[in-house]
Amino acid sequence: MPLFEINGKKYEVDEDGFLQTPAIWSEEVAQDFAATEGISQLGEAHWKLINYIRDYWKENDIAPMVRRMCKDTGFKLSDIYELFPSGPANGACKLAGLPKPTGCV
Amino acid sequence: MKHFVPLREMERADASRPLLGLEVRDLAPLPEPLASNAQREWKALTESVKQICECGLDNTCALNLPKPKDRTEEEALVQKFVSGLNKLFESSNNWTFLQPLLLTMENCVGCQTCADSCHIFESSGRAEVYRPTFRSELLRRAYFKYVKHGGALARFQHGDIELNWPLIAKLAELCYRCNLCRRCAQSCPMGADNALVTHELRKLFSQEMGIAPKELHERGSMVQLKTGCSTGMTARTVRDNIEFIDEDTSDKTGIKVETPWDVEGADVLLIHNSGEILSWPENPGAFALILNAAGINWTLSSELVGCDAVNYGLWYDDVQFARVALRQAEVARKLKVRKIVIGECGHAHKALAVVADRLLSGELDIPRVSSITLLRDIVLSGRLDLDPTRNDFPVTLHDPCNLVRLMGVVEPQREILRRITPQFREMTPHGVDNYCCGGGSGFAIMSPNNFLDWRANVSGRKKLEQIINAFSDCLDLDGPKYVCAPCSNCKGQIRDLIVYHDLWRHYRIGYGGLAELVVNAMRDVKPGFIDWEWH
Repeated sequence: MPLFEINGKKYEVDEDGFLQTPAIWSEEVAQDFAATEGISQLGEAHWKLINYIRDYWKENDIAPMVRRMCKDTGFKLSDIYELFPSGPANGACKLAGLPKPTGCV
Repeated sequence: MKHFVPLREMERADASRPLLGLEVRDLAPLPEPLASNAQREWKALTESVKQICECGLDNTCALNLPKPKDRTEEEALVQKFVSGLNKLFESSNNWTFLQPLLLTMENCVGCQTCADSCHIFESSGRAEVYRPTFRSELLRRAYFKYVKHGGALARFQHGDIELNWPLIAKLAELCYRCNLCRRCAQSCPMGADNALVTHELRKLFSQEMGIAPKELHERGSMVQLKTGCSTGMTARTVRDNIEFIDEDTSDKTGIKVETPWDVEGADVLLIHNSGEILSWPENPGAFALILNAAGINWTLSSELVGCDAVNYGLWYDDVQFARVALRQAEVARKLKVRKIVIGECGHAHKALAVVADRLLSGELDIPRVSSITLLRDIVLSGRLDLDPTRNDFPVTLHDPCNLVRLMGVVEPQREILRRITPQFREMTPHGVDNYCCGGGSGFAIMSPNNFLDWRANVSGRKKLEQIINAFSDCLDLDGPKYVCAPCSNCKGQIRDLIVYHDLWRHYRIGYGGLAELVVNAMRDVKPGFIDWEWH
């Protein structure tokens, strides 16, 4: 199992760098994973998206549609790419501790 | 010839370097202006992956196949492979493809016409291990030795092979360096099908040895059979998301859109690839609007698997394929619909409309047709009021291999585009001679390790070149361009190619499906259905 190491901590991740055990997620985990996106400090806008994604996921067991995410949070897709350079799935969802999305997405 | 590798090097156990060390400078040159742009760096495999996993073939790794612990484990795996090999050639165990497989084993004359038609071989700078007959020759030798039990004469005629673990491990990876596009099969004067060889080997690895890419099996067909969709959506989430899309489409177009659910006796059961719903919601939105406007009696299904046209088993496992296809047909039978219409998804076309013919009979043999021909009939019937000037931007068409080469659906999409896109231009070559997007056979959803680098640089290289050439007269920032790709898998790969090579930022090259262009041209719809927001 690949490991992601940061600040003396080790996280088990999959081949794409997603957290292997979503249950161990905490705000601290998100902050640690922010480095993979080149983000030094998560700001208010980052948290708004991360919390939205986590809440949706907890209820539906799947990541929200990107278009729904934009409509519900008021961010344009280009804003999301500004906040998370790898985009909503590989950036924001990864920091929110979700498993990698599956299927033709 | 660069990278010449004799076939029997596959048996080599040396793990210190892979058989093929592919460098970017070896690859076929890119067209201008891309050749002059800075190229993204190809990530190297990490040391830990190289230590744990079988990476002996080349410098990427699709399977993350763990190395066996000891010789005993290796031996057991070799025995399993030999047992699976024999099953491939038994009619009781290979009810799908035995006959064409035998023809392919017996009839290759080694003329290499196939090599010249393979985009992966050509793009790699003609790397020997990617030659279509390299893979087939390994299977052929194994067939004559381990299935037909040929002696010295057979070894002389067909060449020798020793099935050991180093060879089998490399062969497993090599099955995932072919897009199954069947361009080689089309060009073969003898009717041999090298893509079928890849497919049958994938089957052997999955069905007998439990070896398959995680994205296709564990996170693909298994998720689909469990939750109902390969994306992990449950029937409830699908309905919820489609309701959202209905509202969104209504807002955007000014036309009230409502998707009918589970309508018994409908003429048309439309099944989308469920990835469309999550990633390209404007496509199911466009279909709903068009079918309603044309007065079609249609429905979506909220039953498990009936809401997802995907069938990844098609690429690697006949058993998984059959499980999914049977459930889809069963949903249609229960709903008593007159036909199943397959959304814009190439492999779903092949699975349901073609290969499922070997499986579905009696009450389950419900007509299964393409949405492309239905769209064509609607557009040409004059039932929609269309204004082509709304699509007055350069448009090119990517042909999904399963639609054109396999099924011969070539003209309908062109009849539509000639009608509604004034600046339509073909790629060269196109139609049945098209090149795969490079994401075929599941690659579009596979990005483990540095596999994205491989498919953006090698398997997708031809398509990249074709896209650039199709827009060679307008490679500027003046206006947006549209690559029309009526297939979810192709769309995913083309999106990745555009991002990887920065085509949207440099040249405003975007992409999307076919139904979206139809809605964008409808006079009753608020202008700007295609909003050119990057997605």
